[in-house]
Amino acid sequence: MNVPPSHHLVSRTASKAEARQFEMDVLVGHILLYGVMLSLLLICSGLIWRWFNAGNLRFDYELSGMNLFQLVAAEMKQALHAELRPRLLLSLGIAVLMLTPFIRVLASVFYFLIFQKNWKYALFTSLVLIVLTYSLFLR
Amino acid sequence: MVSFALLFPISILAGFVGAIGGMGGGVILIPALTLLGVDIKHAIAISILSVIATSSGSASAYVRDHLTNLKVGMFLEMFTIVGALAGARITIASSSAPLYIIFGLVLLGSWIALFAAGHYSWREPQKQDAVSQWLELEGSYPDQVLGKTVHYKARRAYFGAPLMFGAGIIAGLLGIGAGAVKVLIHDLVMGLPPKVSTTTSNLIIGVTALAGTSVYLYAGLIKPGLAAPVILGVVIGAFLGTRLLVRLSNQAVRRVFLFILLILAAEMIFRGLRGV
Repeated sequence: MNVPPSHHLVSRTASKAEARQFEMDVLVGHILLYGVMLSLLLICSGLIWRWFNAGNLRFDYELSGMNLFQLVAAEMKQALHAELRPRLLLSLGIAVLMLTPFIRVLASVFYFLIFQKNWKYALFTSLVLIVLTYSLFLR
Repeated sequence: MVSFALLFPISILAGFVGAIGGMGGGVILIPALTLLGVDIKHAIAISILSVIATSSGSASAYVRDHLTNLKVGMFLEMFTIVGALAGARITIASSSAPLYIIFGLVLLGSWIALFAAGHYSWREPQKQDAVSQWLELEGSYPDQVLGKTVHYKARRAYFGAPLMFGAGIIAGLLGIGAGAVKVLIHDLVMGLPPKVSTTTSNLIIGVTALAGTSVYLYAGLIKPGLAAPVILGVVIGAFLGTRLLVRLSNQAVRRVFLFILLILAAEMIFRGLRGV
């Protein structure tokens, strides 16, 4: 791992557990960063596509009574019509954004379970994961 | 429907001002959206979705700088997400006028919290209680200014946890990160060092916002056409604000932000009392 100069002092004194915590920091940090970037990229592409297709940035559609997965499925079906494809990108951007913290928690569960063997925190993060899964599948 | 040309710059401004004031964009965004004629419930729903983006974006940097305490975050998340689910459901069931008033009151509360924040100083850890010790709520972080590793121990987790449930309710109810409330709990109740407390609050905010967002999504309150310019704008604004903050961070900026916050609080309460 590439340690910046300011962390030398830390890495010298770090115990094994602390070193592992650092790996976890890097993992979580990257999930969040790439998730948000991908989401913004999808939203931007959707807007640009719409601009070139229709000459405006109006997306007048509502999503009612759908959870995240129903939304993605419905949009995929509608994307068969060419004029609705920019809209798919927009919805996917929103979906990716919502899944970013979710995947962060999912990764944490596995990390605590497999690498740290910290049952206490594996349990805590699993509880968070269960509540979030419930909320994403609301119906 | 409000046009992109109006929403996008307003959202940049909201993200910018929010970041300068050390808060998310939500506190500025929601009043601004309602002034543009967006229904307050839609404004709340879109704001909480954009909160996922701003908080995850900044959390990613803090986590990689090893400032965030993941265990503190993951323990407290259990409470905030349940609060956010409850809060969002309350908003959906409620009528608009009380939401304006509650929003105004929370803005006033944040104003007081920000005002008081300048007078708080962290002290080295005392004895840790058994509960917090069992929860392994301790850590260390590399402090660039002091040039050494600071070790700390969190306290009173049994008291911080239920308070975090309350912070979650506020976040879900009003579509904001409620970072000021979370930082206050971290600082005053759990005794975390300021840097750890703000960065850990950032991590918690993302997951909490997700719980709230899914309720609003299912209720049909998230219009992608409105959400897209807002998400982009707030993230860009927050990014610019954070960059500028590194160079500015003086008293004048703080005073301007506090002033804006106070005006918005009064305006929201007034509109709520007038019945919107």
